[in-house]
Amino acid sequence: MIQNFLKVAWRNLIKNRTFSIINITGLAAGLACFILIALYVIDELSYDRFNEKADRIFRINADIRFGGADLKLATTSDPMGPTLKKDYPQVEEFVRFYTASGSKQVKKGDQYIVEADVMHADSTLFNVFTLPALHGDTRTALNEPNTVVITASTAKKYFATTDAVGKIIEADGTPYKVTAVIRDIPRNSHFKADFIFSMDNVHYDWGSYLSHNLQTYLLLKPGTDWKEFQKNFRQFIDKYVVAQARQFMDISNLDEFERAGNKLEYSLMPLTDIHLHSDRLSEMGVNGNIQYVYVFSAVALIVLLIACVNFMNLSTARSANRAREVGIRKVLGTARDSLIKQFLVESIVTSFIASIIAVGIAILLLPYFNSLANKDLTVGGLLDMRILPFLVLLPVIVGVMAGSYPALYLSSFKPIAVLKGKLSTGAKKSTVRNALVVFQFATCIFLVIGTIVVYNQLRYIQSKKLGFNKDQVLIIDDVGELGNNAAAFKNEILKLSGVSSGTLSPFLPVPSWRNDNTMSREPVLDPKSGMNMQTWTVDADYAQTLGLELVQGRFFSKDFPTDSAAVVINETTAAWVGSGNVIGKKIYNFESQDNTPIPLTIIGVVKNFHYESLKQQIGPLMMRLGKVTGMASFKVNTSNIQSLVKEVEKKWTAMAPGRPFRYRFMDESFNNMYNNEQRVGKIAFTFAVLAIIIACLGLFGLATYMAEQRTKEIGIRKVLGASVQGIVQLLSIDFLKLVAISFVFAAPAAWYFMKRWLQDFAYRINISWWVFAVAGVLAIVIALVTVSYQAIKAALANPVQSLRTE
Amino acid sequence: MLELKHISKWYNVGGKPTFILKDINLSIQPGEFVSIMGPSGSGKSTLLHIMGMLDDASEGEYYFMEQAVHTLKEKQRSHLYKQHIGFVFQAYHLIDELTVYENIETPLIYQNIKSSERKALVADILDRFNIVGKKDLFPTQLSGGQQQLVGIARALIAKPQLLLADEPTGNLNSKQGEEIMELFKQLNDDGVTIVQVTHSEKNAAYGSRIINLLDGRIEQ
Ligand SMILES: Nc1ncnc2c1ncn2[C@@H]1O[C@H](COP(=O)(O)OP(=O)(O)OP(=O)(O)O)[C@@H](O)[C@H]1O
Ligand SMILES: [Mg+2]
Repeated sequence: MIQNFLKVAWRNLIKNRTFSIINITGLAAGLACFILIALYVIDELSYDRFNEKADRIFRINADIRFGGADLKLATTSDPMGPTLKKDYPQVEEFVRFYTASGSKQVKKGDQYIVEADVMHADSTLFNVFTLPALHGDTRTALNEPNTVVITASTAKKYFATTDAVGKIIEADGTPYKVTAVIRDIPRNSHFKADFIFSMDNVHYDWGSYLSHNLQTYLLLKPGTDWKEFQKNFRQFIDKYVVAQARQFMDISNLDEFERAGNKLEYSLMPLTDIHLHSDRLSEMGVNGNIQYVYVFSAVALIVLLIACVNFMNLSTARSANRAREVGIRKVLGTARDSLIKQFLVESIVTSFIASIIAVGIAILLLPYFNSLANKDLTVGGLLDMRILPFLVLLPVIVGVMAGSYPALYLSSFKPIAVLKGKLSTGAKKSTVRNALVVFQFATCIFLVIGTIVVYNQLRYIQSKKLGFNKDQVLIIDDVGELGNNAAAFKNEILKLSGVSSGTLSPFLPVPSWRNDNTMSREPVLDPKSGMNMQTWTVDADYAQTLGLELVQGRFFSKDFPTDSAAVVINETTAAWVGSGNVIGKKIYNFESQDNTPIPLTIIGVVKNFHYESLKQQIGPLMMRLGKVTGMASFKVNTSNIQSLVKEVEKKWTAMAPGRPFRYRFMDESFNNMYNNEQRVGKIAFTFAVLAIIIACLGLFGLATYMAEQRTKEIGIRKVLGASVQGIVQLLSIDFLKLVAISFVFAAPAAWYFMKRWLQDFAYRINISWWVFAVAGVLAIVIALVTVSYQAIKAALANPVQSLRTE
Repeated sequence: MLELKHISKWYNVGGKPTFILKDINLSIQPGEFVSIMGPSGSGKSTLLHIMGMLDDASEGEYYFMEQAVHTLKEKQRSHLYKQHIGFVFQAYHLIDELTVYENIETPLIYQNIKSSERKALVADILDRFNIVGKKDLFPTQLSGGQQQLVGIARALIAKPQLLLADEPTGNLNSKQGEEIMELFKQLNDDGVTIVQVTHSEKNAAYGSRIINLLDGRIEQ
């Protein structure tokens, strides 16, 4: 019996070649897209789950507001971990990471290599996280200072063998002994580390509850309710944090601090939530985003659905042609369920062929998809036991999904009606089919609007007046390596032709150093007059090099020796200090040994500039004159940038032999801040195109079918005097109506969702009407082009020929 | 009214031309009522299609009301056709999706006639053909004879000077056939030129001239 089903199914596929090809191509594209996205989603959801104790590991997050600015930190104070373990029996273990010192220069032979994936960690690391050792004993590996644990590939890179235990590594001038080699940390871990150094080597002002600089993870005892446990944090704050703050601040408890509009809040975040749900300051790396997982999943389902819709549409449209077969079968006594089975077998066979092609497409497209999603997914992922059974079942599911409607529809035909030919009219006007076309085009229009909005926002970011000039600025990293020679280096570079000015400061309005500090408007620090703000050390040429604009007073100058006790602030800080002219007013900091207030005189106010991403409001900032030389930036003005960079490098090697020369351009750095958004743009664009292609494929099939069905009508109309144009109009108008209806559904939905997406940006575009106009017109044009090929072909056909075939 | 000079029509079947019409010379004066006869497959319908400008001749010249049709562009030809010719098909060729009323109205729409005027014209012809009661029915709900009547009504709605009818009575019983022939006679008396294809000697006799086709040639 099944053999008979298969035989008939195959014959039908061959007989209706055009439709079969359209069906299979559409389904294959949809399925390929689905497979790729399934790989992506599964990978995203797998983060950190390789840890055996994953469900008991939590990171401590800190949310701080002091004087306006909100800080969301992935770090906490260094004593918090040990104190919690001491005070609360629920805490089985803690481990802290220290990464604030950034990358390290590791010596290999007589070369220095900049290693970015480095961290210092407590020796308890291996009790909390599952990082199995290949050589050495991780239980004791980090107990001593000057010890380091490295990964297998790092060991191979430096020592050409994984067994590197006992070898010495020199990092940032300090020798470390390799005490263990661990397996490479899985790719799906929220932190990456090639080197894990002993915590004892961190130069840090240990013991302050008020500085938040270490990522801290707690391993809770089995059975502990972590949500309940978090409630202890208020008690912890009053007992330790407030107690320490009282030394230089007039404060009695956390409640009082909060009543003044401030906030200090600790919370636990489950380890497995970090990758997708955390976007805080001082993350261990770039995390994913649950939004993208949702968006990707939705897109995968939608594209698959569109492909299935094609299938249903073409099958039902073709039903008129198959009606006779159904009629005859029924007259011959075939039961309805056997007919349903026949149609389902056909659609499963189709989707099975499509699945095989889809796997091929997915494998071919994987590299492109990887770059789109910023992933290293491999084809091997398809063989994962969680995907494989699903992959095998998929054709059946899709086949049933796509085939059930046509099957029920076709099998319900009444034999007499069919054989009398009463069916053709009904088959031409199917509400369900129209609804499906509307769904497809609504999706396309939605994606087109989404793409336009994302790209507009990105363009807006590019062209937004930032308050500083990011173009033609060359940034040299690691200038701190030069020590006292930094100023000399700067002068040397300034001598080069094509360099107009330069500044020594590691604080730049692109990813670079940050430093926040608590200032007060009054000589005393209390919760009401305090404000946490960015405090940057710059030199006198900073404003000129970055093109900052002054709105009051002046910038620092070498001609004023008193400038060491002066500050330049931005407009946000100025507004906090007072209204109108703030030049000459004083603000205070409390960094002195005995916490006495140090007054600083405001000499200038710079126009607000975007020193963080446009997602954030411009927060308070103050600049002080000083010598912190981590980076140097030069304003260049030359058409031959590359040769200038070479000359700069020459100077660098002369002054810092053996030290790697690292440079970047400020506008590049700036653009990199929006990599995620650029990715969303590309994804939306890719899938919009894909959805449109699949939908058009379906529309083309439908138009072909319609033209075929209406051949006779078209012939008659031509004989009655209809023009070619009139016929094309007649055939297209129904489809255009559907596109118009799709627009009515898609536009408000797109408006709502894109509005929400834009909420992420403190500075954003308005979605203007023309975006909708463009999407609408585009959809109409695309639909028209798709349909008109068939329409024109039908309209140009010789009517006598068309009528003869009757 | 029209004149055919050396008209031939052939199709390429299997690479070599098969003639359907060969060197047809024929002229028809205004007010004539011509019947074309001949065995099945002799090319009667083809000839009628060429006269009706629905199809092109492979060779030869065709003059319609002093205009050289074979030199005209598609658009001009279509215009000429719309203005002056009505066509009745052997197989009725009504549009299934439209009602009787709408079927008859369609040629007027393509001639850009105002809606109010259309209404009057259609009402008039429905009345004349005695099918007012059927105006809201669809073609599938009519008998063959009724469909043929609608087909003729549609051909006449735009008041053509030339009526081309391809076996208008082929599917009808003899009484219905006679009625239609009477109608044609009357139309011809009113000044409409008529060319009809028929197999029936009796119907052919209604015409003023009979042309016999055999293997694509006119028999003298
Ligand atoms: N597209 C075509 N290709 C090949 N041959 C064709 C084509 N169209 C028509 N013919 C042939 O031309 C011949 C004449 O056809 P036509 O329809 O004019 O005959 P007819 O005299 O009207 O016949 P009937 O009395 O059966 O209606 C037929 O033999 C037919 O097979
Ligand atoms: Mg014929």
